[in-house]
Amino acid sequence: MLEMADISKSFFGVPVLQHVDFSVEHGEVHALLGENGAGKSTLMNILAGVYTRDSGTVLFNGEKLEHTTVKSSESAGIAFVHQELNLFNDLRAFENIFLCKEITKKSGMLNKKAMIQKAGELFDSLGVDIDPCAMVSELETGKKQLLEIAKALYANAKLFILDEPTTALNNEEISHLFAIVRKLKEQGKSFVFISHKMTEIFTVADRYTVLRNGEFINTGNIADTTPQEVTKMMVGSKYCEQAAYETRSCGEPVLELNHLSGHGFTDVNLSVRQGEVIGFTGLVGSGVSEMFQTVFGVLPITGGTLKIRGSEISMQTIHKAMKRKVSMIPSNRKENSVIQDFTLLENCYVSEHTLSEKLQHIFLRKENKRFYRLEEALNIKSNSSGDMITSLSGGNQQKVILARWLNTKAEILLMDNPTQGIDVGAKAEIYKLINQLAKEGKTILVNTLEIPELQQVADRCVVFYHGHLQTELKRDEMSEETVMLWATNAINSSEVAQ
Amino acid sequence: MNETRLKPKIGNSITKAMGNYSFVLIFLVIFIAFLIINSGATTWSGVMNILRHSAVVGVLSFGMGLVIITGGIDLSVGSMLSLIGGLSVVVFNATNSPIITLVFALGAGIFCGLINGIFVGVAKMPAFIVTLSTMLIFRSIAQYYLRTMGLSIYNMDGTLSSYNAMYGFGQAKVLTVPVVGIALIVVTVIMVYVSTMTKFGKTVFAVGSNEKAAQLAGINVKRTRVLVFVITGLLCGLSSFLWLDMNGSVDPATIGKSYEMYAIAAVVIGGISMSGGKGRLLGVLFGAMSYTIIDKIIASLGFDALINDTIKGSILLIAVFAQIVVPAIREQVRKPKSL
Repeated sequence: MLEMADISKSFFGVPVLQHVDFSVEHGEVHALLGENGAGKSTLMNILAGVYTRDSGTVLFNGEKLEHTTVKSSESAGIAFVHQELNLFNDLRAFENIFLCKEITKKSGMLNKKAMIQKAGELFDSLGVDIDPCAMVSELETGKKQLLEIAKALYANAKLFILDEPTTALNNEEISHLFAIVRKLKEQGKSFVFISHKMTEIFTVADRYTVLRNGEFINTGNIADTTPQEVTKMMVGSKYCEQAAYETRSCGEPVLELNHLSGHGFTDVNLSVRQGEVIGFTGLVGSGVSEMFQTVFGVLPITGGTLKIRGSEISMQTIHKAMKRKVSMIPSNRKENSVIQDFTLLENCYVSEHTLSEKLQHIFLRKENKRFYRLEEALNIKSNSSGDMITSLSGGNQQKVILARWLNTKAEILLMDNPTQGIDVGAKAEIYKLINQLAKEGKTILVNTLEIPELQQVADRCVVFYHGHLQTELKRDEMSEETVMLWATNAINSSEVAQ
Repeated sequence: MNETRLKPKIGNSITKAMGNYSFVLIFLVIFIAFLIINSGATTWSGVMNILRHSAVVGVLSFGMGLVIITGGIDLSVGSMLSLIGGLSVVVFNATNSPIITLVFALGAGIFCGLINGIFVGVAKMPAFIVTLSTMLIFRSIAQYYLRTMGLSIYNMDGTLSSYNAMYGFGQAKVLTVPVVGIALIVVTVIMVYVSTMTKFGKTVFAVGSNEKAAQLAGINVKRTRVLVFVITGLLCGLSSFLWLDMNGSVDPATIGKSYEMYAIAAVVIGGISMSGGKGRLLGVLFGAMSYTIIDKIIASLGFDALINDTIKGSILLIAVFAQIVVPAIREQVRKPKSL
């Protein structure tokens, strides 16, 4: 169906893609794999007409696509479902689908009735439960994703490019998405699936292609390979670091939650000891994120008590939390952590400045010295402290944020989804750092859905469901299956069934 | 994306510096035009007069610059000039003391700025609306109060013993440099220092760049927002005082008219982004002086002063065009837009 051969592309003479071959058959889900910067996005942007290729040929349904623009590739039947969704939040669901393709009456007036009806039929045929008249801003992320697919389907797309479609979805939504993908596959639609999550790739994809540093590495059937093998292909000869968990001795309790309640979670009892790494997990809406934010003073405490190093906190504010050496790396780095217009140095120091603001003058040389020490300790890859943070890869940006908090001498680190949107190599590094920091006596709470990662670092795992602490699992009980049973509350429902 | 890291850095830095300091270029072009048009008539004191006449609008533009860096705007600066200037005349006439007048002007500025700041920073109302309201209020009070006294203009009492000290200050020179111009330079130095080398200055940029991240990094966003308005008020107070020194009287209906627009223009020509987070305050000085020179050029060409704003508006358009459209075109030519 799609045949891309010998594609090359360079920016400013720097080759980003070199002689890459990529093909997709009718009715298949093709996983396009590679670390960030491997060239996946560039390749897909060439296919979707955002970039023009320097050389190579693209055959789509037997037709040569020359000098494509976004429009021409769309009309050829290629739909790019972007990571950040291209929907209009202030329009209704059906209006999004029919945007620029509105059905009109003879008088030129919009025929809303017909459009609503057609949209409804479209959703029904997909098995999607969306009210055509719902405002997009009120839809959950999962539904927005499905709406985008429905929109592309209406535009008669034959090939869907799904760029990390599951990052914002919970497990239920993911399985729903996959069911729809399979359904459309049977109808002969094809998918290019870009994801960093191995489990998903191995559930939904038929074939895979691996890119590394802009070069074609391998292609084959998913059935013939293993996640380990694929990871190796993606990472290459680079030393594939597995963060090695070491048993560690923990000190006194430093963080005690006693019947703590807040927005989105209730009655949480938990005691965290110094030097401990605790994994938190739960589906979207589980309340872990909110609990972290409450401990850090972003959200108010509504009930129960919170003790930090033995002293009870009644009114927590961010500033007070920081003074008590608590820090939080929030989820969604781009929105909540990174200050885009700041350099690495400035990003590293914003928090420290609020603690040392009695002395207003900034001693640049001193700050630079400390920054380079942190840079070395955290293995941040950059040219200079004066570079803009946006020039770094996601993994390195996250390390700068980590440096920001280590710079405040924080002892308790709350990390909300710290490996979101960063590549395999950088993920391993982050988890290695977590182990290292715990060894140095820092207390670390990690919220993530990726259980294999928790297994590399956590002493125990706390599972949340709908704002309640479901269970605490010891290290040897932390299997993906057990965690998921608790996280989806399947354990209780099966007990009830018995 | 790693692609951005792969980009070659050489060559980029030169064009980048050009973009960052385009205000110097604009200033030089206008200044050279001024020299050519004036040719033989150019004198040292004529050049120094540019500095002197830039002082009032220049000083308050620095406040505007800070506010705009946080992503806000302050439309009330011209009206503050009217209210604070008018009341300062009353205070001077009553006390016969330049020092008390200065203290009053600064205090009144802080108070007016605090009103703006609390509505914007604490009550989280849109800066545009809040300062639009206070813009109407401040000038109206100045005019109304004058009317209740049965006067048509706030005039400093020339018979007072301190009058000469006060008025003389506005005309005085140190080593041929007007004192008022020195005040502008001092404010420039202080504001550039505050914005680049202090922790408070960094919070101003952080709030304008990503408010949510700034808050989660521990910055007291409310305080920063209030403070930038207070500083603007304070600088308006100083501007009012300088105005009195230079002119000796205040007509509340005309003083500072359109100054909010000139201040915004000076800030924008100075290369500060209206969406916040980016730019340097140093540019504000050049932006303000560029506009003063345009006044001089028009005067020496003998044009009707009414053509003034046409030229100022056009310069603003060209400046912003150079800052936004030119790099965008260059980007388009050199690389496709990244997603």
